[in-house]
Amino acid sequence: MTADEISTIKEMPNNDYFVSGHGACPGCGVAIAVNNIMRILGSDTTVYVPASCLIVFSALYPTSAFRTPLLFTAFENTGAVITGIKAAQRRRGIEGTVVGIAGDGGTFDIGLQALSGAAERQEDVLYICVDNEAYMNTGIQRSGSTPFGAWTTTTPVGKVTQGKRQMKKDVMDLVIAHDPEYAATLSIAHYNDFIRKVEKAKHKSGFRFLHVLTPCVPGWRTEASKSVEIAKLAVETGMWTLFEYEEGEARSTYKPHTMRPVTEYLHMQGRFRHMDNDDLNTLQRWLCAKWYYHYGHDVEQPACAIYNGEKELHFDGDPLHGV
Amino acid sequence: MAAQTLAEAAILGGHHAQAFPYFGAERRGAPVRAFTRIDDKRISIRSQIYEPDMVVILDETLLEIDPVVDGLRSNGSAVVNTRKAPSELDIGVSVRCATVDATSVAIEALKAPVVNTAMLGAVAKVLDLVTLENIQKAIADRFGEKLGPRAAEANVLAAQLAYDGTKEGRCLGARSIVQRRMWLPEWDEVPTGVALEPEHIEGVAVGPGSSIQNMTGTWRTSSPKYDREKCIRCLRCWFTCPDVCIKRLEDDHVKVDYRYCKGCGICADVCPVDAIDMVKGVHEW
Ligand SMILES: Cc1ncc(C[n+]2csc(CCOP(=O)(O)OP(=O)(O)O)c2C)c(N)n1
Ligand code: SF4
Ligand code: SF4
Ligand code: SF4
Repeated sequence: MTADEISTIKEMPNNDYFVSGHGACPGCGVAIAVNNIMRILGSDTTVYVPASCLIVFSALYPTSAFRTPLLFTAFENTGAVITGIKAAQRRRGIEGTVVGIAGDGGTFDIGLQALSGAAERQEDVLYICVDNEAYMNTGIQRSGSTPFGAWTTTTPVGKVTQGKRQMKKDVMDLVIAHDPEYAATLSIAHYNDFIRKVEKAKHKSGFRFLHVLTPCVPGWRTEASKSVEIAKLAVETGMWTLFEYEEGEARSTYKPHTMRPVTEYLHMQGRFRHMDNDDLNTLQRWLCAKWYYHYGHDVEQPACAIYNGEKELHFDGDPLHGV
Repeated sequence: MAAQTLAEAAILGGHHAQAFPYFGAERRGAPVRAFTRIDDKRISIRSQIYEPDMVVILDETLLEIDPVVDGLRSNGSAVVNTRKAPSELDIGVSVRCATVDATSVAIEALKAPVVNTAMLGAVAKVLDLVTLENIQKAIADRFGEKLGPRAAEANVLAAQLAYDGTKEGRCLGARSIVQRRMWLPEWDEVPTGVALEPEHIEGVAVGPGSSIQNMTGTWRTSSPKYDREKCIRCLRCWFTCPDVCIKRLEDDHVKVDYRYCKGCGICADVCPVDAIDMVKGVHEW
């Protein structure tokens, strides 16, 4: 974190629209993200949250942690419900931001078709995915977002398999395929970048999508105090990349100075602790390809073959949306 | 504690009983409620009690601020800690009443205005389901185990003195029962795209921002200690606290709201100058 990144925290309004007394686990990344999103979106906001940790901890019956209207229906329909809220408000002459905040299960998997529908219709709504990389509310089941190798209750670690076998789905690419008004990835450890992107999304009209990596203490098997540090390491290792898409183009908004070995990120989390060298190499190789996809040759990637003396990887050709 | 001791006394008398506190996170310093359910058969129901046969009010001033007698049946009864006689007391429903000056009794017997055991003595007087003897035995068991024989003796005495001083009669039902500030709107009364201001959410039990009544600070096992001298006012802690309990002051110094701090330690972890230190245990500075 460099000094200039934090300068705009000061410019944030000191007015909370997501308040204390919610029931999230100590150190919850979702709570950090939502708190600051709401500070920036401000009062003229209507929030929709589908079934997820967020609805459970922010709406402990009969209370609400949102100072704005908060709606909740089912799990799979965020894109459809925010479309409907916006339509009703338009009809009644109400202005303001309609935001849907869904988990990764609610976005990558069960909510994908409603998301795609809203994006394709270019609805004037803000869709935010708070990505804790599993179905946490129901007790840590794998989702399309769970990274390769990660333990969940449905990708157990045993003799037959060791954690999830598939790579994380790239939901940003799916969203970008709809040519939305704005789409961006956010990290709770890159404050300035986070604030700027939420602000941008707030002031645009049309379909906007924000994707935030939100570390989860029980699901990732981490220490509560490390949620922000882990989010930062995700970016430094390439497990998370910060970019935005607007006017038909994707652009990196933050480039690490160098690619750190993925093990630095994995070792802070119990969900990866069982991974063997083969799996680590598989993940590292995949990350190197992804790194290249995002940054091209702009940022060095010395970490690409560090296990078992594997051959050095070299990526060439045109990066897809590296700058 | 009193609800549990009452249940134990009932069990000593051969009944089935259960006792439990109000379900829900209550504001610190808010009125506490607890329930006892007594039956001759095994009790399978686990809900809170909404229509009690008896209400025991440990603090008379609650009648002004809380709907304590809400749901009390007209053939029910009330036991109230007050200096008044039943006929002078207005609790909002006219029912069989027992009054006792439990505060004076507690100060005499315990040298402290802790009235629960005295109130149990008064309950023994009006409630056929428990005898004073069993109440005293239950008190002795509970306090003897926790606080030693002298405390047990003093509390047994408090029950005795209260039992002797209890006046029975019928109280008045003229006042209207106060209702808690509650907001249970119809769907079309929910303001769209409008937020309530902080001053409006204070005291609201339901609705936007009402989670502030949940004192999550009780979860914490370590506490952040803030050193104002070291702080460079970067506000990283304010940004990253998941529980919104780092309060940002006018000059961008910060203050921890310990009522909600869960002790996660993120603020200390992100602080670039170590101005926040996590200290084991529940503290406030
Ligand atoms: C149709 C349907 N299936 C299953 C559920 C049960 N359910 C509620 S929340 C949840 C998991 C949510 O996971 P995610 O969207 O990743 O959010 P998180 O809790 O991880 O923040 C599930 C499976 C449901 N509510 N509706
Ligand atoms: S399980 Fe994870 S996402 Fe859910 S409240 Fe806890 S830390 Fe937050
Ligand atoms: S310890 Fe956690 S909950 Fe408490 S003030 Fe610090 S960041 Fe907030
Ligand atoms: S992070 Fe540290 S220096 Fe920054 S405002 Fe908080 S206490 Fe002060």
